[in-house]
Amino acid sequence: MNPTYYDRPVLKAPHWGWNVVTYLFLGGITGGLGIVAALADPKTPSGRRLRKTARIASLVVATANPPILISHLGRPERFLHMLRTFKPGSPMSLGVWGLVAYSTAAAASIMIEDDRLTALQAILGAYLAGYTGVLLSATAVPLWAAGKAHIPAACVCSGVASACALASAISSLTGNAEAVGKLERLEQVATAGEAVILIHFNASGGPRVRRFVGRVAAPVALSLVAGLVHVPERHRRLRTLLASALTLTAGYLFRNALIEVGKRSTTDPQAGFRQPR
Amino acid sequence: MSETGFFTDTTLCIGCKACEVACKQWNELPSDGFAFTGESYDNTSQLSGTTWRHVAFVEQVAIEPAAPSPIVEKWLMMSDVCKHCTNAGCQEACPTGAIVKNEFGNVYVQPDVCNGCGYCVVSCPFGVIDLIDPIDDERKFSVATLSESRRDANQTAIQKSGGVAGKCTLCYDRQKIGETPACAKACPTESIQFGVLDELRERAAERVASLAERGVDAHLYGADDVGGGIGSLNAFFLLTDRPEVYNLPVEPVLPSTRQPAGYTAAAGAAIALALAGWAIFRSR
Amino acid sequence: MPGLGTSFGRGGATSYVQDLQHADCILIEGSNFAEAHPVAFRFVMKAKERGATVVHVDPRFTRTSALADVYVALRSGSDIAFLGGIVNWVLQNERYFRAYVVAYTNASYLVREDFRDTEDLAGLFSGFDERAKAYDRESWGFERAPDGGIVRDETLAHPRCVINVLRKHFSRYTPEMVERVCGVSQAQFAQVCETLARNSGRERTTAFAYAVGWTQHTVGVQYIRTAAILQLLLGNIGRPGGGIMALRGHANIQGATDIATLYDLLPGYLAMPSTGKDEQTLAAYLRTNARAGWWEHFPAYVVSLLKAFYGDAATAENDYCFDYLPQCTGDHSTLPTQIAMKDGIVKGYFVIGQNPAASGQNGAMINAGFERLDWMVNVDAYETETASFWKREGADPSRIATECFFIPAATILEKSGTMVNTNRLLQWHDQAIEPLGESVTDARFIHALGKRLKELYAGSTDPKDRPLLDMTWDYGDDDEPSTLRVLQEINGYDTRTGEQLRSFVDLRDDGSTAAGAWIYTGVCPDAQTNNARARAGDDAAALGWGWAWPANRRMLYNRASAAPDGAPWSERKRYVWWDEAAGAWGGDDVADVVPGARPGSDDQAFLMQSDGRGALFVPESGLLDGPFPTHYEPSASVVDNALYPQQSNPTMRTWRRADNREPAGVDPQYPHVLTTYRITEMSGIMTRYVPWLAELQPAAFCEIDPQLAVEQGIASGDTVTVSTALGELECKALVSGRMRPLRIGGKRVHTVGVPYNYGALGLARGDSAGRLIPLVMDPNVSIHESKSLTCAIRRGPRANRET
Repeated sequence: MNPTYYDRPVLKAPHWGWNVVTYLFLGGITGGLGIVAALADPKTPSGRRLRKTARIASLVVATANPPILISHLGRPERFLHMLRTFKPGSPMSLGVWGLVAYSTAAAASIMIEDDRLTALQAILGAYLAGYTGVLLSATAVPLWAAGKAHIPAACVCSGVASACALASAISSLTGNAEAVGKLERLEQVATAGEAVILIHFNASGGPRVRRFVGRVAAPVALSLVAGLVHVPERHRRLRTLLASALTLTAGYLFRNALIEVGKRSTTDPQAGFRQPR
Repeated sequence: MSETGFFTDTTLCIGCKACEVACKQWNELPSDGFAFTGESYDNTSQLSGTTWRHVAFVEQVAIEPAAPSPIVEKWLMMSDVCKHCTNAGCQEACPTGAIVKNEFGNVYVQPDVCNGCGYCVVSCPFGVIDLIDPIDDERKFSVATLSESRRDANQTAIQKSGGVAGKCTLCYDRQKIGETPACAKACPTESIQFGVLDELRERAAERVASLAERGVDAHLYGADDVGGGIGSLNAFFLLTDRPEVYNLPVEPVLPSTRQPAGYTAAAGAAIALALAGWAIFRSR
Repeated sequence: MPGLGTSFGRGGATSYVQDLQHADCILIEGSNFAEAHPVAFRFVMKAKERGATVVHVDPRFTRTSALADVYVALRSGSDIAFLGGIVNWVLQNERYFRAYVVAYTNASYLVREDFRDTEDLAGLFSGFDERAKAYDRESWGFERAPDGGIVRDETLAHPRCVINVLRKHFSRYTPEMVERVCGVSQAQFAQVCETLARNSGRERTTAFAYAVGWTQHTVGVQYIRTAAILQLLLGNIGRPGGGIMALRGHANIQGATDIATLYDLLPGYLAMPSTGKDEQTLAAYLRTNARAGWWEHFPAYVVSLLKAFYGDAATAENDYCFDYLPQCTGDHSTLPTQIAMKDGIVKGYFVIGQNPAASGQNGAMINAGFERLDWMVNVDAYETETASFWKREGADPSRIATECFFIPAATILEKSGTMVNTNRLLQWHDQAIEPLGESVTDARFIHALGKRLKELYAGSTDPKDRPLLDMTWDYGDDDEPSTLRVLQEINGYDTRTGEQLRSFVDLRDDGSTAAGAWIYTGVCPDAQTNNARARAGDDAAALGWGWAWPANRRMLYNRASAAPDGAPWSERKRYVWWDEAAGAWGGDDVADVVPGARPGSDDQAFLMQSDGRGALFVPESGLLDGPFPTHYEPSASVVDNALYPQQSNPTMRTWRRADNREPAGVDPQYPHVLTTYRITEMSGIMTRYVPWLAELQPAAFCEIDPQLAVEQGIASGDTVTVSTALGELECKALVSGRMRPLRIGGKRVHTVGVPYNYGALGLARGDSAGRLIPLVMDPNVSIHESKSLTCAIRRGPRANRET
């Protein structure tokens, strides 16, 4: 143990709360929906319907997200200042531009059917789902800095899982049963991937990492299990909606835990002395 | 223009806090609050969005078996400040470009550009920069000290910057007119020395040597590369104990250096899920 | 002040702070130099860089101690024992600078046969009147030869020569005694003695620096005397890097005492006439105060002052209006006046830039005294605790009849004038901005008041009104006076021509000159020049920066930096010296010699003394409590006096009354030593209202050692109550190993430290330390004892929530 300065931490705590958590959550969804839209098979009616659903949902979320993000700024009226410069070395700057680019692509792809545009939206969507993890780990916050690979990868998986959950709920309610099954399977793969990443993170990290994983383990596990339980046909819709709710909840809680446990990790007086590379 | 900076020599510090006060006065910064900490003579505790010089006090006890009470033999005093890193975490993180390197090589926050996103706050490996709270308590600033234009508005310059990030500017406004930064000017013992960086480094090296001759074990913090991708610090220190004692990181890291690993991992996950997704959605 | 005055001739610091950088050793005691004088402390730091050893002796380990090379923890109130021990060591080990001592001090003088020392009389000197609690000091004199001259033994062998009487006086102040009384280990004591001795003599010099840690005791003046004796023995007075730096606390307190805000002085340290002496006429007054040496010019200073006061009305025929001067009928200093106010004797009170309710002693008595006044006028930049006494917590304004006036005062930046700092240096400051709002400068207030009073009494034929009507008051037609004209009048002018005077040697006792304060003559030597504005600095004595009294001399007694033959004691320590070729004194400073004097024709290193010598033994009319310093315990002490049956200063002034409770003897109810002090971040109310000062030290607190904290169950940040026999003080606790328990006379003694900076008002608030301190006074200068008291401490708030 190092001597400390009256147990006061070296580092400053983030000022981020529910609005940033929500932004991260919705950002993962909107990006994931862009991927889903690209994956949907345009050769089948179900796939075409799914594609349309995914694109509209993605655009709606992408439009709703910025005001939430802007509300967390100390000077909300100056949000456009983020567009006065392009700094690829800053995840936040790149992210803002990425969001602008994605929203443009998302809007365009509703009006124009083009394979390259679809692919572009998917790639930008993947970026949106993952960049927030990079944004967090490229800071001095001990929890986030400890997960420079784990957190971005987990964000991608969580984002895709949440996107699938939303899309499958909508598809279920609008009678696109064929899409529901595929979405559910991708949702499970993504959630399983997230679980594997978290288990590895837990094993390789210290107490604060374990505290974080502890907070998300149950929701993630629940959403994984919900998708695996076998239910009779007539309960399928209910099960889909329930599983989607669990996955979306797990997705929100994942971001929430990142922020809250992250904040706490900055208050550890020992944490700032030796920072991970 | 040559780069300027601070050389803070803690062996000359008498803990008078003239630096902390001069900085507050020049920059019209409000007080942070009036709480008695019981932590030696340090009641302001840390740098913040509205405390840009902070004097730390560390009482060091000698182990004296015969004494009935632990006896303090040394009292370290140190004026902390923004390190003005060569590669600054806050500057790299800033999405609006508000944080820049000015013509003096100092890291400067443009208060009219910053939109208060707080990303710099979490990107500083030294825990320096923070957001400026809107002032809730009129007791925290003194109307009589405001310039006339702001007296009518009953508002400090910094209050207009509520919500944005604040830190030491290395008195950019004073440097531009050829003046010494307020803290260095006020320091009665020249513990805080301001000047051209190369000269300061030379002087610091000589000081370490002359102290060694006197049997004082001192080292420089930040005159050379501190590692982690940060480079050297334009505001560097002469310390007589480990950095942790002064609440300084021993191994600070420039956070932006973690991006490549992050983007790679995210891309990997995305590709894996895309492949799985293709199999799920497109297979016949 | 009299400690230095009686020892050397002038009551002021003997040198200037810049000279400290030339010291080989600096002893800081009775001072928290780095915290109280941070800017001047630069020069101590410079001395350190040049290899000087800095020794700090103090009951607390402070920010000064942190920068010192040697820190010695000492029981508050035992400095005379400590310094006396060093004197004893120096004499026993023959480490004094013999040539200097023989030539420049009264070491060789023979003391009268009927003089009895404290060694003879169990802690008293000869001539003590038990009833009057005062000394008849006639036996404290020197043996006279038939021709009236003083008998001397330059071989220093005679048992009655001063140095041997001194030796006897301090003979029991051994290292063992120092350990027992002060709590300083013999090893550390030896280290200090050796360090001082090693750094004194021809080639090396040691400087002392002190402040109110030495003066605010019932034996405060004698503390300074002990230091003076020691520095004379070591040969450090008047030498570069030597001397005694009295660090004055307030930015202009030197100016305040120079121009006489003390009740018993007229400007320039002339005595205020008193009904207790034969001083009712000018002739009698001059006779009573006549002394040999430079003071033979006393009549010129007095008459010039009277001419300055009363102008043309003052003539030879009416003794220059001498009878207009008020005469003291007793002790009108602050503490007795406070008692008189409480007893309803004082009717009116002007309080100008002072806040007794927060910074005085026995705050409860002070406030009660205010309630008995008919009227009070406060002139201040802040509505202080004093100005708002009538609405303080627990006061009922409907039952207070005092008519209160509040005049908002302009601050330093809003007015022009001079400040005189601890270097005796006058520095002019310009007005930077107009006074804000309705605030007025003090000068304007006084000037306007004087004008209105003159108008009010104009045409009166009553003789008692003549002083007011004859008073010269021509500082301008506006209410705002010309401060430059005031300074010019203080400097002095020829009453026939109106021309400014260049030096106090030009003052006359025939009414042809007027001078407000003879010590300042030379600051405005002609109508165009104001030397207080000069700003030509240099690395030497900087004679071109400001103007120091007397005669712009920076280091006093600097004649002693050269041997009797005029050659410097050493090349390394040369300061002024006789240049035969030029027929004058050389050096960077104004030589402190009678103009035109050659070496050999004088041994007047201390020319303001009647015999020109530094006084190891202060005879007769010097001090009220002894020709030598004696260790007495403070009025409230935790131990009996180990050296004498006489516990405390027999001539100290106490008031044993119900509203001024003191412990009776050593009282186990108050087992700890209490000391008070100030901290860097705060002074008084004007700092308590500044947010960025208030946040640095936001609450009243006390400092205690960890062992005492454990015994009382106190942790840092807890609310505690410190109590004395007089009252209680509630504050936060700061537990620190910088406070040390000491072993005194076989028992463990803790010290509780309480800063004096707080009051009920401000952003940083707290109980004022004055709640704890009863009125107890030293006899020579009427200073209060606030540095060594006794107290108890317990966890929890104070019992009395009312006041």
